[in-house]
Amino acid sequence: MTVALLAQSILNGLAAGGIYVLVALGLTLVFGIMNIVQFAHGEIYMLGAYASYFLIKLFGFSFWEALPVSAIAIGLLGIVLEKFFFRPFRDRFEPSIIVAVALMVLLQTTAVVGFGTDTKSMGGIIPGVLSIGGVTLSWDRLLGILVGIILVVALFLLIQKTKIGQAMVAVSQDPYAAALQGIDVNRISSIAMAVGCALAAIAGSLMGSIFSTSPFMGTSAITKGIAVIILGGLGSIPGAVAGGLVLGLIDGLVPPLLSSTMAGIVGFGVIIIVLLFRPTGFFGHE
Amino acid sequence: MLEIRGLTKQFGGLFAVNNLDMIVNQGEIAGLIGPNGAGKTTIFNLITGFIPPTKGQIIFKHSDISGKSTHSIAEKGLVRTFQQNVFLPDLTVQQNMLASCYLHPKTGFWEAILNTSSYRKKEQYVCDRTMDILKFLGLDSVNDELVQNLPHGYQRLLGIAIALSTNPKLLLLDEPLAGMNAAEVSESLTFINRIRSAGTTVLLVEHNMRAVMGLCDRIVVINFGRKIAEGLPEEIKRNKNVIEAYLGTSENAAGT
Amino acid sequence: MSKGSQLVKPAGYTALVVFLVLVPLFIKGGYFLHILIMAGIAVILTSSLRTIATTGQISLAHSGFMAIGAYTSALLVRKLGLSFWASFPIGGIVAALVALLVGYPFVRVKRVYFAMLTLFMGAIIRLIIMEWRGLTRGTSGLLNIPPPDSIIIPGLVNIAFDSKVSYYYLILALALISLLFLYRIDSSRVGRIFLAIEQGDYVAESVGISVTNFKVLALCVGCFFAGIAGSFYAHYIKVLTPDSFGVLQAIYIIVYMVVGGRKKFYGAILGALTLTLLPEFFRVLKEYQPFVFVGILLVTIFLLPDGLVGLPDAVKPCIQRLRKVKISNA
Repeated sequence: MTVALLAQSILNGLAAGGIYVLVALGLTLVFGIMNIVQFAHGEIYMLGAYASYFLIKLFGFSFWEALPVSAIAIGLLGIVLEKFFFRPFRDRFEPSIIVAVALMVLLQTTAVVGFGTDTKSMGGIIPGVLSIGGVTLSWDRLLGILVGIILVVALFLLIQKTKIGQAMVAVSQDPYAAALQGIDVNRISSIAMAVGCALAAIAGSLMGSIFSTSPFMGTSAITKGIAVIILGGLGSIPGAVAGGLVLGLIDGLVPPLLSSTMAGIVGFGVIIIVLLFRPTGFFGHE
Repeated sequence: MLEIRGLTKQFGGLFAVNNLDMIVNQGEIAGLIGPNGAGKTTIFNLITGFIPPTKGQIIFKHSDISGKSTHSIAEKGLVRTFQQNVFLPDLTVQQNMLASCYLHPKTGFWEAILNTSSYRKKEQYVCDRTMDILKFLGLDSVNDELVQNLPHGYQRLLGIAIALSTNPKLLLLDEPLAGMNAAEVSESLTFINRIRSAGTTVLLVEHNMRAVMGLCDRIVVINFGRKIAEGLPEEIKRNKNVIEAYLGTSENAAGT
Repeated sequence: MSKGSQLVKPAGYTALVVFLVLVPLFIKGGYFLHILIMAGIAVILTSSLRTIATTGQISLAHSGFMAIGAYTSALLVRKLGLSFWASFPIGGIVAALVALLVGYPFVRVKRVYFAMLTLFMGAIIRLIIMEWRGLTRGTSGLLNIPPPDSIIIPGLVNIAFDSKVSYYYLILALALISLLFLYRIDSSRVGRIFLAIEQGDYVAESVGISVTNFKVLALCVGCFFAGIAGSFYAHYIKVLTPDSFGVLQAIYIIVYMVVGGRKKFYGAILGALTLTLLPEFFRVLKEYQPFVFVGILLVTIFLLPDGLVGLPDAVKPCIQRLRKVKISNA
């Protein structure tokens, strides 16, 4: 492997990792912190992409105008879903799986019925590529990474520095104790779900723009997302970053050497080995 | 029957159990007491294989069981009860007992699947034996009750019944009298004596001092993971170190 | 119990079996038989998953073990010329052996992490199938898998597997045998041990039960039957692609089990049959059909916390209330 190829592979891996982090952020908030078994998170991400798509194509929004509108709309959808679908089964694991699967099928079928199964294109955000040395990176992907960094920092600050964020942490550790301290657990759950879904919508819009939009894009997103947050540790934002970058690097370096399927095998293999020795992942806590 | 030599358990820098030497003789009722946090439950966990010792040996019936797994120690005849009691909360007393009759008699996998006549005989034996144990402890009247509906005292007795179904040679009772009223305590003491008469050696951890003094043949006192006294109840009652250890904490030595 | 009432249960089961045997006489369409055959496969998969779940372990790798059985059996027949009747049990055995291999490290972790480990295990199995193209033909698919050899007893029987009817009877027989075996496990001492492990593994360990060994046993038994189901599937569909054995399929099997109800043995059967057969009546809805599936799921979790097996208990108070109204109106 030449140095140039190695460098490009690492860069591709970091770029992929940045996107995985983006996808995993909302998931770690909902799944990891609020303990909502949200298998349908991939569908939320997909709906965020479609929301942006329609805002751009039908209403002539620009990408940067569509993004926040999509995020807010999907965030509101998340509040509704949390209240009617997830809250009744909050403490029960097996029913939670069922409701999440039901939502997943419901949202995906709605998309198939409503939008058709063909993939759609939003058009990119910024055309062209950035070339330094022998390595290239498309501007769109760089943008994706930058947005990812901003969101990671923003979410981290939200959790660590704001009362609401601290309340979320309290609820995730012990909902009853948190309630005794006067925290409105229902309100916090709503807010967390709204933020988580908004993050998913942003990730979906970015991915839908950089790549393409289809009703099935959520499935691969959720698979990657769950892998990232389990590797990094449920509920940990640094963990989501670490997990995303590790899996991204594997996906950047392994395919040129072996194949992209092997990248998946190596990735999951790494996760299994980590889980066997440290079930809580890199930064998780129990 | 049970010999403990130099038993030590370290958690990081903390010594939960520090160089403990102790014996339990066959046929006696021995008591292990000490203030809260002295390490008594840790000692139980070490003896029964729930946690491995850092140092030292545990010898049961002349064979070294230190670090062995709980189920193989149980197979050898060393069984314990638990402070938190409930085994199968959604099932009845009888179902709990049937589930715990694993060791005696043992059945093979294929025997059970094919429902052979030898399997059915063994199952019938298990059924009968279960009833015998429940009668022995006065629990036969609540045979069909759901365990979670039982009053606390009965649940503790059920814990003992479950342990008895393994036909133990040495029974470790972890605070068997906790939360019982006076009538239940005196009933339980009778049962423990009967268990000893039937041939099982008993080692118990208890906070109820009056009960311990009346029941045990020999007492070992622990504080901060170390043995501070050992002997007959009258000697322990008068032992200065023991009194100091208890008064030094919020525990009162005269009773609970 | 009087002799009369003692006979009711076995008589009921016999009648059910007779009914199932006679079904192909009433159903002529190949498509409907296909649905029943797939339902039979689902029943075996869901019941065997339930057996693993009785120790408290939820396995998300069940479709992966089905794949192991499927590819093993298919390859043994195609490459080594073995007869189906030898290869399909071997498919189950290989699946069980793989379960044994990963079982010991996997069962030691907490239940939540076991579920995650099996999730990735299932994903890896699918990826290995995709990657090992020399053996499995990867995503192009393993084609032309031969049907089972005809059962020939000279002068008496000549059953060829050239129509769906033969496959129907085969899966019926396999399902009945599997369910009998799994039911025996569940209702015997072994089943009690599994239950004890789920609800109180500390106490189980202290009465001499090796929790690790029994968890692995449950896993191996469950995965054996997943492999058997896979072997049948391979020689019925005759084409294998890795996409049939993904995590989504594994999640569906769990859904069948939970919707049917985990507490009773027949819950798994009920869940599998309901969720594979009921949506078929709504085929006219075409692309809206998945909404029926969603509807069944939502109705079940909102109204029946114990799953479909809880239906009798949920309905009883309503009937009692109706009776009281009737009496007071009389």
